[in-house]
Amino acid sequence: MYTTRSLYTRANYEVNQTTLWKMLSEDQCEEIFMTVLELLERTGAEVKNKEALEIFEKAGCWVDGNRVRIPTALSEWAVRTVPSRITLCNRNGKRALSLETTNVYYGPGQGNGQILDPVTGEIRKPLKADIVNTAIICDSLKNIDFAMNNGLPSDVAPAMAEVHAFEALVSNTTKPIVQNVENVAQAQAIVDIAAAIAGGLRELQKNPFVALYIATEGTLVHSDETLAKVIFAAKNGIPFVYNTKLVAGDTAPATPAGALVVAVADVLVGILLAQLVRQGAPVIGGGFFTIEDKANGIKPLGAPEVELMGTGFANVMRYLRIPNFGFAGATDGKLSDAQMGLEAAFSILHAGLSGTNLIHGCGLLEYGLTGSLELIVMGDEVMGMTRRMMKGVEVDEERLARGVIDAVQPGGHYLGEEHTMKFFRSEFWWPTLMNRNRIDDWIAKGAKSMGQRVKEKTLDILKNHRPDKLAEDKLAEIKAIVAKAEAAIE
Amino acid sequence: MASFEDLSKQVITGNQVKVKEVTQALIDEGSAPLDIINLGLIAGMNIVGSRFKNGEMFVPEVLMAAKSMSAGIEIVKPLIADKDMPSIGKVLLGTVKGDLHDIGKNLVGMMLESGGFTVINMGIDISPEQFIKAVKEHNPDILAMSALLTTTMLHMKDTIELLKEEGLHNKVKVIVGGAPISQDFADEVGADGFAPDAASAVDLCKKLLS
Ligand code: B1M
Repeated sequence: MYTTRSLYTRANYEVNQTTLWKMLSEDQCEEIFMTVLELLERTGAEVKNKEALEIFEKAGCWVDGNRVRIPTALSEWAVRTVPSRITLCNRNGKRALSLETTNVYYGPGQGNGQILDPVTGEIRKPLKADIVNTAIICDSLKNIDFAMNNGLPSDVAPAMAEVHAFEALVSNTTKPIVQNVENVAQAQAIVDIAAAIAGGLRELQKNPFVALYIATEGTLVHSDETLAKVIFAAKNGIPFVYNTKLVAGDTAPATPAGALVVAVADVLVGILLAQLVRQGAPVIGGGFFTIEDKANGIKPLGAPEVELMGTGFANVMRYLRIPNFGFAGATDGKLSDAQMGLEAAFSILHAGLSGTNLIHGCGLLEYGLTGSLELIVMGDEVMGMTRRMMKGVEVDEERLARGVIDAVQPGGHYLGEEHTMKFFRSEFWWPTLMNRNRIDDWIAKGAKSMGQRVKEKTLDILKNHRPDKLAEDKLAEIKAIVAKAEAAIE
Repeated sequence: MASFEDLSKQVITGNQVKVKEVTQALIDEGSAPLDIINLGLIAGMNIVGSRFKNGEMFVPEVLMAAKSMSAGIEIVKPLIADKDMPSIGKVLLGTVKGDLHDIGKNLVGMMLESGGFTVINMGIDISPEQFIKAVKEHNPDILAMSALLTTTMLHMKDTIELLKEEGLHNKVKVIVGGAPISQDFADEVGADGFAPDAASAVDLCKKLLS
């Protein structure tokens, strides 16, 4: 789904136009928020950036060394002044994703140091060409709404990997991009590239097609570099995700409610700083949660708690009217198998029903170590099914079908009715990968398993999909920006 | 100016109102009634048939197209003497004994009619004896049996054996179809042909009569 129209439906009272998983009540969200406010005032957060400390102190926070305690009124001011909606555009500046209310948009993940080669099936380090492939896959799939890199290129200067990844993405898809940045120099290069495409920084601010992804360390600690990036993004008026990553029972309390408190507090620190730098700076609150798998000492991505806490986070962000960012579509499995399908489907459904605005992570195998284009392709199918669920049952005069039921009469059938003709395509979800052939047809077409069909579709997209290209002069401009940044970093 | 091509298009989209309009316009402009049927209505339906076979069109759309085509035929029919109505063959069609499923069978019937066949649709729950009686009465070129249940499909065999007993087997071709039917089953029971879907049934009948 890729639309400029908001899917939110107005009503005078409670409305279940879409199936939504509202796990936390308003009162529970309020309780969590009140606890966050108290915590920020009493315990505060560690802030390791000098400029940020000065900004917080000037605004009225209590600053003791690196500890910043935030008066409740200030936190509340930040929640009020951060925009309750952000529109991400496509590369042509056309309004695309309305990050507001419970609108849901899906995309791939990032942070993986390996990739599953789509042709050989070998697990190896990602190359820049793999990021190009990710962009092509994202560009072609109907339910993938934004792009992320699904791996960092290993064949470029490591300090420039994110910039090269962004170049690969932006040159090969028109969809909005969420781009991780390691430091301000990278952020500057990426904003320069985006501004060059948009026709200047001001145009980019008006119709942003990139959101920077800034990950905080979690557990109420905010590093020097992290906050420098926040200040940079806010000054430049570029939307950014402030994402906290927490492990319940390890870096956060074992109770989901406690983990949510820490996450919301973390995110509010970033939001407040951004608002103090530039009131109204667009921030997307990000929450990623997992647990420690005690048997293997790893942090799973397919665990139900990932979506449980993710849903709680989306509910609280919605309550605070802050656009949000969450996680789904990943697996702890190692290849295209049933575990991959189950965990991805389970999480994509729940994240969708939770109303998380930007849902990233589809394509990650092996608890996030390996990226898989096949998983993105399969995920697209599940996203389609999820969206059919979320569309719900529309109830109106025509759809109640009184007339046609009477015309058909008991024992008759609806196959040849105008009414069926009008609705059978739009009311039903149409599979592209799920196989419903009669068995003879299925055998005749090679008796292929889901894994084989997914692989074939992936390779077919890579071979045949041609994303819209950037103009030659823009490409040249981008090359120059990358070269300049490379020279400066080395 | 109305055109046959436009008429075909309206049949394909299943637009009854437009099919009637264009058919009438063609008549008013002096097109030959048989051309309207062959070059407009049936031509459109042939395209519907092949799209259905390829999975590009679906049952509701095919039914709407067939309905709209019939609406066009109704307008042209009075202008043609009965003996001149185009027919490439006569098909006797029914669902076998004990079986009440008729949606697929009716679709086959509609597609055959749209393809230029004369179809005598006997309905559902037709016993071997009833089929034989009708064969004697109507003299069809093809006997077409549909079954949707594994428990009723064996009545196809009974019917074919009774045909043989009555010495009618060489006078009429027998085709079978329906969800549980396969080519193997058709061979086993001694049918002359099997079609997996309604559009293929039309091709099959044309092949058997050529
Ligand atoms: C001569 O040349 C040809 C050539 C091609 C031919 C052809 C002839 N005939 C058909 N084709 C081919 O062309 C068509 C399209 O291109 C195709 O036709 P189809 O008929 O396959 O396809 C139609 C366009 C659409 N498909 C259909 O119309 C059949 C759909 C399903 C859902 C179905 C329906 C609708 C019905 N049913 Co029935 N029904 C099911 C069916 C399950 C399913 N999902 O398929 C099936 C066939 N039914 C079944 C059963 C068990 C039953 N049904 C029964 C009743 C009914 C309804 C009356 C409710 C209704 C029929 C309404 C009607 N007017 O036809 C009962 C039997 C009644 C009886 N004595 O016949 C009952 C016994 C249920 C009960 N316990 O009461 C099952 C059969 C199992 C089996 N192995 O035998 C079944 C597969 C459902 C299931 N999964 O259990 C091709 O097969």
